[in-house]
Amino acid sequence: MTAPAVVPRRTLRVLGTSITLLELIRRRAESDLGFAISFEVHNFVDCQRRAALEPAAYDIYDQCFHNMDIVWFWGSLQPVDTFRITDWDMLSGLTREGGINRYASRGHGDQPVRKLYVQPGEALGPAPSRYISMLPTVHNFDSFGYDPRVFGAVGPHRESWSWLLDPRARGRIAVVDEPGIGIFDVALAAEAAGEVKFADIGNMTVEEIDSLMRVLHQHRQQGYFRAIWRDGEEAANLVRNGQVAAQSMWSPVYGELGETAQHFVEANPIEGWRAWHGGMSLARHLSGAALDMGYEYMNWWLSGWPGAVVARQGYYMSVLDRVREALSPAEWRYWYEGLPAEVDLPGPSGNIVVKAGARRTGGSYWDRASRIAVWNTAMDEHNYACRAWERFVRQVRGEASS
Amino acid sequence: MNARSPQPPMQKRYELIAGVLRLNITTGKLPAGFVLVEGPIAELMQSSRAPVQAALRILEGENLIHRFAGRGFLVGPKGSGVPPIRQGIRDLDLQISVEIDEALQSRGTWELVYDRVEEQVASCLIFGEFRIVETELGDYLGVSRTVVRDVLSRLHERGLIRKNQSSHWIAGPLTAQMIREKLAVRAILEPAALRLAGAAINYTEVETLRVRLAAGEEIEGEILEAALMEHCIARTPNRELVGLIGNNQLLLTAANRALTGLGLPRDRVEHGEYRTLFDLLSRHLVDSAAEYLEGRLRILAEKSLARLKIVAIITQPSDIAPFLTPK
Repeated sequence: MTAPAVVPRRTLRVLGTSITLLELIRRRAESDLGFAISFEVHNFVDCQRRAALEPAAYDIYDQCFHNMDIVWFWGSLQPVDTFRITDWDMLSGLTREGGINRYASRGHGDQPVRKLYVQPGEALGPAPSRYISMLPTVHNFDSFGYDPRVFGAVGPHRESWSWLLDPRARGRIAVVDEPGIGIFDVALAAEAAGEVKFADIGNMTVEEIDSLMRVLHQHRQQGYFRAIWRDGEEAANLVRNGQVAAQSMWSPVYGELGETAQHFVEANPIEGWRAWHGGMSLARHLSGAALDMGYEYMNWWLSGWPGAVVARQGYYMSVLDRVREALSPAEWRYWYEGLPAEVDLPGPSGNIVVKAGARRTGGSYWDRASRIAVWNTAMDEHNYACRAWERFVRQVRGEASS
Repeated sequence: MNARSPQPPMQKRYELIAGVLRLNITTGKLPAGFVLVEGPIAELMQSSRAPVQAALRILEGENLIHRFAGRGFLVGPKGSGVPPIRQGIRDLDLQISVEIDEALQSRGTWELVYDRVEEQVASCLIFGEFRIVETELGDYLGVSRTVVRDVLSRLHERGLIRKNQSSHWIAGPLTAQMIREKLAVRAILEPAALRLAGAAINYTEVETLRVRLAAGEEIEGEILEAALMEHCIARTPNRELVGLIGNNQLLLTAANRALTGLGLPRDRVEHGEYRTLFDLLSRHLVDSAAEYLEGRLRILAEKSLARLKIVAIITQPSDIAPFLTPK
């Protein structure tokens, strides 16, 4: 008698960014779930373009809530049924309810809760429903990094976003190029510096965008900007080569600075953090067995181990209790509770990224989550802002290369 | 507003084109299964693509042609199951009556080029601000300065271009604010006009549409919107109000067509909304219908803003018309 035929399950194709699509996560997911998984990694802008325009090319879309307005409304995704998410009830209130508690600042712009629930007529909104656009997963509260030798030693709560446009750092400033993120770094800077005033920084008017761009171009003409970076690797190189004194930063980059880490620290800005929230969505074409695989993969992400991996590069996960079980007590106390590291702590790949005695900027998860200034956002005038931003980026790059 | 109004009372171009195609389908010159695509028809009729699109949608609404898996439409009613016939439309030697041929030919020179220019201008708006130089437009079209001015004043009337402080013609940018404001105006004016129309509403047409929608017929949103306007809203006795409503819609319609042309998806839920509207109207519940219409227009504003965000990921095409200079 021959052995029963084993029909191999198809490959689950995940489209996303380098934030979560780590090779060690892919391998572990394959072995835990028993089917092949492929990761396709792009930067934010290319990723959302592919998600919107080529919906048949992927099964899971792993990205951020602030581009739901684009990908969801393009009709490329299908709602996620929360009845099929085993640990849905364990998800943090930050996304499900809009804040970690009633008193935490909600922040301007695209709060994830406003893009979370599928409303009648397929719109997205904050009114709870069984179906959601994206399963909330990885998130963080970002600021900028700076060189304390340039800005001097400061006490708690003295750093300000205005340092991203500060004369002391002139010629040695860089910002991230993704418009839904970079614009808010410089907008927070320009408002903190008293150069512009926004009625709602999360939904700027055309006039406000024009004023912001005028400020940026003035600074550009005076040679303030060294670079506009596209990914963490570029950002790390700018610091390692001593080319920047203040720049936009992403959390994992701090672990990649090597010897220069002591001269480049994360700010805890008095104005608050720029927050973002990632998640996973299902491609519209999924059905039957392929759809089941999608749910298996999403549920696996909430199981604790993946959240522990991303915690080691500074990211938080929507299921806190599960992550706590998967981290060592020392790791949990450093990354989530904001307490001094008791021992040297490893990053995702095992190298030491936190020295014993170090303390996470901004304190605990709950401290940081209570001080959100603005979320990464696709504003109403997103198209107008992006086109203006692209012109600015082109000019800075042109000057940097000439 | 510009005082020049050079439009003589005549059939609209898309109606003329629809007429030619309809005649040739009924007489069998255009056989069942023949694949109708915009480009060659536009060429044959010496027209731009927009009126051809509109004509095809009308014929689809009359169930004379239907969509299929490929590009374009197939002649014949939906579900007829005939195989596609791909052939040049010129080879068919279509019957075009002398009157229609003359009507197509004898339109003012500016009208011959206007649709094409409007299409090109409308599609650049989302990419930012562009300047139009009269002489460059003249060279591009191969027409006199007088014709160029006729075209520009028409674009100006429609709200597609404006003059800046140095008297240059400027197109764009299309902003969320403009869309929000124009849709807010729609939500104020159109339900009011519908209420005033009351007994003057063409209930026979409303009933026909209701029956077709209830039978599950897929009628395109643009057709339904035009029908609601023609048979209901525009029946209001206040002509001034009808004029305001029409003008307010011009830019929205042009921009919407351009966005659809860029490949943006169609609205999947509007069909059901029109079904509700025509249902209420057919029962003479005009107040309820007006209230529903107002709600629908408010939701439409949200959707249109989302639609405008989407286009941020579309890179500016290299084939933007040469008379449009980016600012």
